[in-house]
Amino acid sequence: MKAHWKPVCRVLLLSLMCLCCLETAAPQSHDVDVALVVHPDTPVSNLTLAEVRKVFLGERQYWSANVPVVLLIRAPVARERSVVLKTIYQMSDSQFKQYWIAKIFRAESASAPKVVYSNDMANELVTAIPGAIAFIDTREVRPGAKVIRVDGRLPGETGYPLR
Amino acid sequence: MCSRLLPLLVLFLASTALVAQSAPQSPEPEPSTQSLLDRIQQLEKRISELEDHERKEAEAQTGTSNSQTVTETKPAKVSAMPSQALHSEHADSTAGVREAEIHYPSLQIRGFGNVDFSATDQKGSVSGFNLGQFVLHFASPLSEKVRFFGELSFTAQPNTYDLNVERTIIRYDYNDYFKLSFGKYHTPISYWNTAFHHGAWLQTTISRPQMVKFGGTDIPIHFVGLQAEGNVPSGGLGLGYNVGMGNGRSSNFAKSGDSGDVNNNRAWFANLYARPARLYGLQVGGSFYRDKLTPQTGINFDEWIASANLVWDKQRPELLAEYVNVHHQNLQTSQTFNTTNCYVQLAYRLPWQENKWKPYYRFEYIHRPNIEPVWDYTGTATVADLVGSLVGVRYDITNYAAFKGEYRNFRQGAGEPRVNGAFFQTAFTF
Repeated sequence: MKAHWKPVCRVLLLSLMCLCCLETAAPQSHDVDVALVVHPDTPVSNLTLAEVRKVFLGERQYWSANVPVVLLIRAPVARERSVVLKTIYQMSDSQFKQYWIAKIFRAESASAPKVVYSNDMANELVTAIPGAIAFIDTREVRPGAKVIRVDGRLPGETGYPLR
Repeated sequence: MCSRLLPLLVLFLASTALVAQSAPQSPEPEPSTQSLLDRIQQLEKRISELEDHERKEAEAQTGTSNSQTVTETKPAKVSAMPSQALHSEHADSTAGVREAEIHYPSLQIRGFGNVDFSATDQKGSVSGFNLGQFVLHFASPLSEKVRFFGELSFTAQPNTYDLNVERTIIRYDYNDYFKLSFGKYHTPISYWNTAFHHGAWLQTTISRPQMVKFGGTDIPIHFVGLQAEGNVPSGGLGLGYNVGMGNGRSSNFAKSGDSGDVNNNRAWFANLYARPARLYGLQVGGSFYRDKLTPQTGINFDEWIASANLVWDKQRPELLAEYVNVHHQNLQTSQTFNTTNCYVQLAYRLPWQENKWKPYYRFEYIHRPNIEPVWDYTGTATVADLVGSLVGVRYDITNYAAFKGEYRNFRQGAGEPRVNGAFFQTAFTF
C-alpha cells in the first residue's frame, strides 16, 4: 500500500510546486501594456504623454481642420479604463464624470468620451470612425491596427508609460 | 517515503494558506479577482461576437428592405456600427442606437438645482430655507463643426419666478486654434465666472465670491456679442486665448445689453491663459476688459478691468486665487477710481470614505473708494467694501449630488459690524 502511495504523493507535490511557480511566472493582465490605437487615417504616429492627456481632456479636439477627435473609453471596471484614469486623467471615476459634465456645460465640448464595452468593440469602432482614438489591451489589438507611440515608445518597450 | 512526504505536503499547504491570509492587501487584483476579470473579458468577447452576428443579419435585412433614415447622419460606415455600439457616458441606454448614427442636431439636456438654508446675526435678516436657481442646460451639435449651447435659469421671487436666458451660444470650430461664436456668454474676465456657471453643484462652496455674484455689478458677469477662442501653438506651455467684442453693460449694470447696447461704443475683452504640460492641474491667466459707461445722460466713464488668476484644480489640494481691478475714469474731469477685488480659496478632498469629504476655506476682499461716481450714480450698483472668510465642508452623497455646510464671518460696508452666519445647501445635477 505504501509503495502505491509513494508515486502519487510525489506527483501531487511536484504538481503543486509547478502550479506555484506558474502562478508567479505567468504574465498577469495587470502587467500588460495598454496600446493607444487610432483610426488608420489619423495623421499622428507619436504623441507625448502630455499630448495624449490634452487630447483626452478635450483640450485638443481636432487632429486636423477636418478630422475631429473621437474619444473612446472602456466602461467602468475594465483595466484599460483604470489605466486611463490613473495615468492620463489622474482622477477617480466620479471625478472623471464630474469633469465631463462641467466641460460640456461650460460649452467647451459637445460630448463626453463614448463608452465601449469590450476591446473587440473598441477595435471595431476605432477602425470605423474617422478620428477615433482608444486604449486597448496590447494582446487584443487587431493586426493592422494603427498603434501610436507614446513618448517615442511602443507597447512592450522599456519605459512605455501606459500599463 | 509517503509517511515523510505527507506531513511535508500538509505543512506546505498550511503555510501557503497562512501566507495567503496574512499577506498585506496588495493594490493589485488578487488571483480570484483576476480570474473574474478574465471571465468578464471572455464574456465581453462573446457579446461582441453575438453583436457582430446580429449586425450582419441587420445589414442583410436593411439591404433587402432598403429603408433609410431621413435624418442627416455621418457616413455609412459609421451608421453601420453595431447597435448599442456607442453610448455617451451620461446618456441612457435607449439613446444608444440613435447616438451610434450621430444625428444632427443631437440635443442633450441637463438640469441643476439647489436648496439652501441660511441663518445670520445680521440686523433685519430672517433665517430660513430658500430655493436656489433651477437651471436647465442645452447642448447640441448641429454638425461636426457647429454646436449650440443654451442655459436658462428660474429664480424664485416673492410672487413669481424670474426666467432668464443666461447663455445662448452658437459656435463654429475651424480648428483647435480658431473657434468663432456668437451669443450671450459668461464674460471670461474671471476664472470663476466661466468655470462655474449657474449650477451650484459644480462649485465647491455654497456661494460664489462677491465679485462674481449673480446680480452683482462689480464686474460684468454676462456679455452679448462675438468671441474667438482657441489654443495658441506654444508647445508645453499650453497657451489659450479668448477675445471678444460686444454690448457690455446695459443701463442696469448687473445685466448685459441683451436687447441692444446703450451707446455706440462696443466693449471688448482679451484673455490669455497657460496650462503647462509639466504641471498638470495648473492654470495661470490674465485678462483685460474695456467699455464706455454712461451712468447718466451726458456723463461718460471709461471702464478698464484687469484681472489675473492662479488655479490648481487637482482636488488635493484645490487652489483658486483671483485678483480683479476695476478702473473708472471720468471722461469730463479725468478723475480716476479703482475698486480692488480678490479672493483665495483652498480646498482638499480627503482620501477617506471614498473621497466624499472636501473641507474648504475662502478669504475675500473688496475695497472701493469712498466716492466712486459710477457705483454711486446707478441705484442698482451695490459694490461695497468687504472683508470676510468662510470655512465649510462639502460631502458628495453621490456622483451627482452634494451636501455643503459653511460658516461665514464678514464685514460688508465701511464701519459696519461683522456678521456671522451658518449656511447649508444641497446641490445636485440631473
